[in-house]
Parts: sequence; structure tokens; C-alpha cells
Amino acid sequence: MKKGKFGEYGGQYVNEILMPILIELEAAFEKHYPTAEFQEKLNGLLKDYAGRPTPLYYAKNFSKLVGCKVYLKREDLVCGGSHKLNNALGQALLTKEMGKTRMITETAAGQHGLATAMAGNVCGLETEVFMGVKDIKRQASNVKRIKLLGAKVTPVDIGMGVLKDAVSDTLRKWTTCSQTTHYLMGSTVGPHPYPEIVATFQSVIGKEIKEQILEKEGRLPDTIVACGSGGSNALGAFRPFINEKDVKLVFVEGGGESLEADNSAAAFKIGKPGILHGAVMQVLQDENGQIKPSRTRAAGLNYPGRGPEISFLVNSGRVKASYAFDKEVFEAVKVMCRTEGLIPALETAHAIVYMVNHKEEFDENELVVLNYSGRGDKDLETIMRYFHES
Amino acid sequence: MNLEDKFKELQKKGEGAHMPHVYYGDPHEEFSLRLIETLVENGADILEFGIPFSDPTADGPTFQAVCERALENGMTPTRCIEGIKKVRERGIENPIVVTTYYNIPYVTGVGNFLNKIKEAGAQAIIVPNVPVEEADELLAEGKKSGIHPIFQIAPTTTEDRLKKIVDIASGFLYVIGVEGVTGVRESLGDSTLKLVKRVRKHTDMPLLAGFGISTRKQASAVVAAGADGAIAGSAYARVYEKNLEKPEETLPEIARLVGQIKQGCIEGYGQRR
Repeated sequence: MKKGKFGEYGGQYVNEILMPILIELEAAFEKHYPTAEFQEKLNGLLKDYAGRPTPLYYAKNFSKLVGCKVYLKREDLVCGGSHKLNNALGQALLTKEMGKTRMITETAAGQHGLATAMAGNVCGLETEVFMGVKDIKRQASNVKRIKLLGAKVTPVDIGMGVLKDAVSDTLRKWTTCSQTTHYLMGSTVGPHPYPEIVATFQSVIGKEIKEQILEKEGRLPDTIVACGSGGSNALGAFRPFINEKDVKLVFVEGGGESLEADNSAAAFKIGKPGILHGAVMQVLQDENGQIKPSRTRAAGLNYPGRGPEISFLVNSGRVKASYAFDKEVFEAVKVMCRTEGLIPALETAHAIVYMVNHKEEFDENELVVLNYSGRGDKDLETIMRYFHES
Repeated sequence: MNLEDKFKELQKKGEGAHMPHVYYGDPHEEFSLRLIETLVENGADILEFGIPFSDPTADGPTFQAVCERALENGMTPTRCIEGIKKVRERGIENPIVVTTYYNIPYVTGVGNFLNKIKEAGAQAIIVPNVPVEEADELLAEGKKSGIHPIFQIAPTTTEDRLKKIVDIASGFLYVIGVEGVTGVRESLGDSTLKLVKRVRKHTDMPLLAGFGISTRKQASAVVAAGADGAIAGSAYARVYEKNLEKPEETLPEIARLVGQIKQGCIEGYGQRR
């Protein structure tokens, strides 16, 4: 396969201004990432700053409910509350190596914006976070955190004021400052080499899962379940298992309110291949090729595209795609709260829905790892409002 | 008229070319047609005919709003292609260069799309999010259908890439003088002038400079520096967007502006050494 291509997906569909910068980024990643020095810095930060390795927790009560043995990979315990810091730290170190002084990024749920601000401060880099006006409103607590850390939050009010629009604006901004500024892409999306870089930094999740499950159970899991849109936490968990053909991999996307037009983020279910933000992806679009806005209550899944690698893995049948509706997601939050005393992020709750909805398919000896990608503090108000209103 | 003949004609007259960029369908189709007529009657040599896209990442705020309005008002790629036919039916013979983002041709099939615009009367296509690395299909299909894929060169383009781009390009080269997106800027940086001079060392192909050009002076400066013409787009949208209820009332102002920018292209040509 050509570099940066995953079957028909991927590529570098950006304007000429950015191409030389992407080539430089790829070269920098290939040069620095494998060195002992870089690894030492990264692993040091992951361990002492982020709090890795994260535990693999046997969720006994939840297991009972769904009728199989479920382990939660506790990415909610990464400092900042989600897996996002794994990638942010890696790219911040890379930014330093490239001699750039600033990082820009976009965020929806605020988790990646927060992780970027943290990583920027640790590495002595200025940060600017683009965020859709609608997301600024619904993720107010994360916005406060990002600002407290000293990052500049730039509201994006074009389009619907959500993640898709924030990515477009960050790309535009990047074309004006790419020589001094790194765009810290938060998910496995965008033009090559981003999907590769982000998946590499996130695959620390899957590497740990492999070691931990072998230690605890003496065998690999039967199934790994993860939520996603761009695919960073899912690919992070899946990557070390892609060649383990007996391990079933399940990806759960945002179903939104319903699968009808304009009410969903389920690009695998109702999208098709198209080009957005620099790559061929599975994407929500109309018959003319105009990109359609996605909809889900989980801001972090509210993106119309699936990253190139996860698109390819689903298309080729290696990964099974599923979706969860908003209503089920809120119920799943409750289930996790009551069984294990954990408040999951709305995004993470999508993976929980899959387990609950498919419990008949599991037998008691089945070993499942659920990538518990983030904690739900940021969603508290949304969750309370939902239960109050309904 | 094809691009080659147009550039030859202008060379003979000793003029730089002016290519205004219009996104079709903003705020509605009839206005776009009258806008195009006004531009052509008052100084445009080549027409850049934009097909609106939902996520125009190489465009600044003015053209983003333009695309959003056109799409809200129901503009589609099919209606745009019909629009090219209408331009031809109105007797406009200037070369037409279609601009759109790659998803639009991608979903209907690149070859199919190029055939359709060719049939409608276009000569070339600009797809800002297709760099040389991803251009194989566009080049192959362009050759088959007789549509020139136009490539861009930016201040960040390395010498190595510059050679690659010059090798595959046809029609003309689009020189982006500033790092950024389309839109009006107060002053044109020296980078445009530097870049035009750099590209000139590699090719005799016509060069049109774009991004950030909105005045006679700027047009004159890039042509004097060796470009064969100047592109302006947002500058025109900025005039009619002030009166979206009755945009046709702004046509006299647009006529004056396009005349001035064309005048700049002529003056600049005279100052070339």
C-alpha cells in the first residue's frame, strides 16, 4: 500500500501551501520517534505526568449484568480525564524537536483541547484552541480548564459552530503560520502523516492491554470494544491486535437521535467515501458531495468523517461497526454509575451500550476489553439535564 | 477561445490577464450571470467559475459565507454546469476555469465530471485540495477530456516540488503569493514578487498570481514582477455582499473595480523589464 493510503482511504488532499509542511512533519516523525532519546522523554512523561500505565480493571458487577467477563481499560484515569493526552504529549515533544514554538488545535468535547494545553505547558509551547461556539457552550467546564491553563480559546462561528467547522478553521489558520506553528491533530484523521502519527502515539493503550490481559487471564481477549468518530482511542486499543485474527474488534459510532437524515453521526451506517479535511474517509454527505453536519449529544463523536484507517478496517471486515443512539447512551451512563460507581464520558458510554445491547451474544467465559476512554465529569450538566427533562 | 490563444492575444497587445473568481449561485443564479457579464464586459479576460462546496478550507471568511449562501439557496454542481452553458449561450467566449474542491468530482467520478464541464464549455479546472501527490487521476482524466488541471505554487513550495509541478502543469500556473487563504488584504507582501521571480526561472508557462489581490496597484505590482496576470475574487464578493437584497445595484461599482484591476494588469505589463 502507498504511504498514507489505507485501501481507497487516506491520502494528502490539502493545498500546496501545506504540502511541504506535511512532508517536513513526516520526516521529523520518522527521524525522532524511533530514537532512544525521544522514547525516554515520551515514556517519562506518560508515566510520571500522565499516570500510565492505566489499570485494566475487571468490572465484576457490570460483567454480571452483561453475562461475560468485562475488563475496562481505564483511560479515564489518564491525567485530564481521557486518552487524549497520550497523543498530545507525543506531538508536543515532536513540535519541540521541529523547533516550532506554538501549537494550534481544535476540540469538541474539550478533552483534546485540554490535553493540548497541558502538553503545551509541560513542553513550554504556546497553545491556541479552536472550538465551535456550540461546543463552547455545552462543554463549559473544559473551556474553563483550558483557559485556566493559559491557552487561547478561539470561538468558531462558521457553519454550525461544531467540530467540523473548527477543523476547517484550524486548517485555514495553519496555512498562515505553518512555519512556526504545529497543528496538533487530535484524532486519527486529516492528511498523511497525521493518522499514522496519532495512531502510533495512541497505540500505547493496546500495548498495555495486551500485557495486562496476558498477565491477568493468560490469554488474549475475545473482543475489544471502543467508541469513536475519527478513531483515535479505538485504533489505539486495536492496533496491536489487528493481526490477531481471533480477537474481534468492535467500533461504536454516534447514532444520534435516529438514523434519519441530519440526526446522526453514524458515518459507517449512512455515509460513503468522500474527501474532507485532507483525506478520503467514510463521510456523511449528500448526493452532490456536500458534507453534511453530524449530530449526536456526545460532542466528541460529533464529526461527519471516520478516519482513513478505521474506515479501511471496517470496510475490509476486520472491524465490526456498530452505533448507539443518544437515548441508549444516557441509560448506559446510569448503568455504569450504578454497577461500578464510575461516571463515563458520553462518548465512552457508546461502547457500554454495545455491551448492554448484545449481551445475549456473549457466553460467560467470553473475555471482553472495553476501552473506557474518558470520564464523564465534563458531561455532568448535559446528563443531569437529560434525566431532569425526560 | 482556448487559454493558449487568450494568452497569445494578450501578449500581442502587451497586457497582463485578469481572471476574476466568482462562486456561482450567490446570492442567486440570475445575479451570478449578470455579475459574470459585467466582469467580462469591463475587463475580465478569463473567468474563474467556482462551484460552491460545503467546506471550502482554502477560502477565507468572504468566500466561506459566499459558499454557504449559495448552498442554502439550493445551488448544486449540476446547476453550476448548466450555468456554464448559460454563460456560453449569452455569447461569452472567454476561457472558463472551473474551481471546486475534490469531493465534488470524486463522488460522481472524476472523468465523468471533467467531461461534463468540458461539454458545457470550460477549458480548465482548479482543485485547491489536490497537490501533485494526489493528482494522477485528475491528470489522466484531464488529458482524456481536454481539460487542463491547474496547479498552485505557494511561498512554502520547495525547489524540488516546484520542478515536479512545472513538469506536469498545463494551461497556466496559479501562484499563491501569500501564506493563507483567499481574501482581501491591505498590502501585498514582497513574498508574491519573490515567488513570481522564483517560478519564472523554471518555466515560460503563463503565471497568474492570486490570493490577496484587490486593487489596481496590487495587480500592477504582480504583473510588473513577471506574472502574466492577476486573479481577484473576494474583492468582488465584498462589493455585492453589502447589498444582498438587491445585489444588481452594486454592478456599476463592480464594473469600475474590474476595470481598475484590469488597468493595473496593463500598467504592470508596461513596467516589466
